[in-house]
Amino acid sequence: MTDAGRVRPLPAALLVSALVAYPFIDRALHAQTVHAVTDAMIYVLLALGLNIVVGYAGLLDLGYAAFFAIGAYTMGLLNSPVLGSPLYGHVWSFWVVIWIAALVSAGLGVVIGFPTLRVRGDYLAIITLAFGEIIPVAIRNLGDITIDIGGWRPVERLNLTGGENGVNPVGRPYLPGVNFDTDFIPWYFLILVIGAVSLWAMNRMRASRLGRAWMAIREDETAADCTGVNPIKTKLLAFGLGASFAGFAGSFYAAKLQAITPGAFEFNVSIMLLCMVVLGGMGSLKGVILGGMLITLFDRILLAQMTFLIRWIGRSLGIATLAAVDLTLWRWFFFGLGLVIIMLLRPEGLAGRRVRPPAADVDEREEALALVTAPPRPRAEAIPGWLRASTAAPSDRPTTRPVLHVRGLTRRFGGLVAVSEVDLVIPPRGIVGLIGPNGAGKTTFFNLVTGLLRPDQGEILLDGASLVGLRPHAIVGRGIARTFQSIRLFQNMTVLDNVLVGEHCRLRASVAGVVFRPPAVVAEEARARARAQEMLAFVGLDDKDGELAKNLSYGDQRRLEIARALATEPTLLLLDEPTAGMNPRETDALTELIGLLREELGLAVLLIEHHMEVVMTISDRITVLDYGTRIAEGTPAEIRRNAKVIEAYLGKGYEQELVSG
Amino acid sequence: MSDGTGLLELDDVHAYYGNIRALKGVSLSVARGEIVTLIGSNGAGKTTTLRTVLGTVRALRGTVSFAGRRIDRVPTHRIARLGIAQSPEGRRIFAPMTVLENLELGAFSRADREAIPRDLEHVLTLFPRLRDRLQQKGGTLSGGEQQMLAMGRALMARPDMLLLDEPSMGLSPILVETIFEIIRSINQLGTTILLVEQNARMALRVANRGYVIQTGRIVLQDAASALLHSDVVRKAYLGEK
Repeated sequence: MTDAGRVRPLPAALLVSALVAYPFIDRALHAQTVHAVTDAMIYVLLALGLNIVVGYAGLLDLGYAAFFAIGAYTMGLLNSPVLGSPLYGHVWSFWVVIWIAALVSAGLGVVIGFPTLRVRGDYLAIITLAFGEIIPVAIRNLGDITIDIGGWRPVERLNLTGGENGVNPVGRPYLPGVNFDTDFIPWYFLILVIGAVSLWAMNRMRASRLGRAWMAIREDETAADCTGVNPIKTKLLAFGLGASFAGFAGSFYAAKLQAITPGAFEFNVSIMLLCMVVLGGMGSLKGVILGGMLITLFDRILLAQMTFLIRWIGRSLGIATLAAVDLTLWRWFFFGLGLVIIMLLRPEGLAGRRVRPPAADVDEREEALALVTAPPRPRAEAIPGWLRASTAAPSDRPTTRPVLHVRGLTRRFGGLVAVSEVDLVIPPRGIVGLIGPNGAGKTTFFNLVTGLLRPDQGEILLDGASLVGLRPHAIVGRGIARTFQSIRLFQNMTVLDNVLVGEHCRLRASVAGVVFRPPAVVAEEARARARAQEMLAFVGLDDKDGELAKNLSYGDQRRLEIARALATEPTLLLLDEPTAGMNPRETDALTELIGLLREELGLAVLLIEHHMEVVMTISDRITVLDYGTRIAEGTPAEIRRNAKVIEAYLGKGYEQELVSG
Repeated sequence: MSDGTGLLELDDVHAYYGNIRALKGVSLSVARGEIVTLIGSNGAGKTTTLRTVLGTVRALRGTVSFAGRRIDRVPTHRIARLGIAQSPEGRRIFAPMTVLENLELGAFSRADREAIPRDLEHVLTLFPRLRDRLQQKGGTLSGGEQQMLAMGRALMARPDMLLLDEPSMGLSPILVETIFEIIRSINQLGTTILLVEQNARMALRVANRGYVIQTGRIVLQDAASALLHSDVVRKAYLGEK
């Protein structure tokens, strides 16, 4: 969280002065490093863009250099005389084309993102790798296009990209009184400004609704989907926005170098960029800048200087092998070695969040936390007012119509019928228990209702409207929230951010909104944070808002998952074994909480649970599944005496247990 | 109780779990042939205690010994070969492998190959549900079935010592009864058991002795029947008002 925009004024002022003074000091010292540093900054900008895709959204992209190429060739195509561009030579063309390049790259990012949406991990990496290979090959071959249809040639020997020779020259930017032709300093300042603006935009994106959605997708795509985050849109935005920064970098690169060839955008560039992100620390802006600077400056300055030094030593001592050495040929060896060493010593990257335990004896807080053997009792007064307001039943809803009405729901897996012809009705403010032996199809039923699985047959109506065919996030938007049997929090996000992701589907900030932060967006974000804090106070986690979710105890994780579900402002809450692994006191507290949600908020609840004291106490009605079919339905008292249920599920000992307490 | 004679001995074990100092000097001892239960709230350090035994969380201070040998610096896979098995390990089954393959893997490090079919039969008798699903992939099982599979896999290792981490979690009431019967029966066949459970009542009924852990420290230890009737335990862990 250190680089979330809370910059201390003094170091920031020092940094800015140093960045401004650097090229002039360099000139005074005749060090001639500005050229290399400017190039390094291009790669840093690229790495920052890649960081959106890899670090934030967790999508392994091995072909990112393709977007760099597209940015560069957009500049080449639109601003070079060799390709007959009408824009070439106009004083404003660079300043126009750089935006076009960003847009074209972003557009291609979305196009490339599209087929990869359903794949992750290895498959995604392979597809992006292929894309990264296709682009340079295409550029090489688009230098001489002839389309021949039976002797008719609508296109003959069209040179679109300059082929292997590339594009040369490319038009330079024009600013009155600024010398872009022979002086490197204006280039330095130009990339500094582009980089600073990009960084500012990325920083704002990260600490926003959008950034949280990216990280939620990275942590657990299914859980994000079931919390109301549209995974398709979110991933496409990551691809598109990530690519747009490559568009800026590419067009700048083309204009600065004056010449582009396909060789500059090969696979190794993608890998080098990925190294920068990993070395610096995925997801950390500071880290990526550091990683990018280290790698490029090592390459451009250190290796060259060392080569010079060793040759000098070789010449002085008369050792021919040393005098002829060229360390730059060993560049990849040094990269690899450095990366291996860093990954061994700091697997989280140079500036990544430390994952190892802190020094001993600083745990007074944990001490206080764990001493509470009795969990906080839920209090009606603590229910956030906004939640009350949002879930208050709209007056137009007929009070008799069921909240959820499921008819004839069926789902097969191969030959196995996991859920067969199941009917279930949840009335307004109803708490319905769903019980049955392990493997009876209870969780499958939940997955059907929440859209993770599509039913083979049957109807699912929420407030009379069909949910069949809707994606999980859309169903969350309609008002169904769920928790998972095996807790699925966003582990590496804070407790507060987990709840904020829950609010995602109720927030409206757009991409432009999160970057430019008009008053409406600022107000919305502030309100969302205040609401999340209230929600945490309600479930008794307000003192742990900054803790990573994975560091919470089991009971706290369960409560956080419920808080996240409630933050989506549901009308129906699906709880999958919420008291599993809880002790009797925690179970009591949770039972009270569920009752409270119904009494105070009018929520309807569908509950899978094996703790009979919970189910029997709070359910109005209970449905029993066995081998996918409904074997019983009734009030708790009826279910308790049902012979079939006793045989399949409760066991003969259950009645005795109740009597003996 | 750590008099150095138990099969498993923890002496003054301190450990971190994530950023939380989870154990602050835990000492406990399990004698050969016993069932010992460790009860406590969530976050008290029960699971971390089990993890320090298998070495997936390392003790920063203190010692863990098994059969008279220190194991707190021994790699986890070698600890497993010494005869300690754990279940259900958060239901960590091998999802892409079939139920049968999962069970067979449990017996991976055993020398007595000829006894394996008999044990497999034994496990399938204990969990008939698994027999129905033998050729199904582990990942397609329901949560409760995965729990049974994890338990069955641990039994296939024929361990001297079995660490059970909430074996009843997520199981139907009828199966919860069964699982405690199973625990008793495998103990009678010679396996020493350290049992961590939220269902303290059932755990104390099946165990010989019990420890109560609170915020990383053992605060109470006694015969299980005595703990079952102790006021503190009844109030804090049995849910009696």
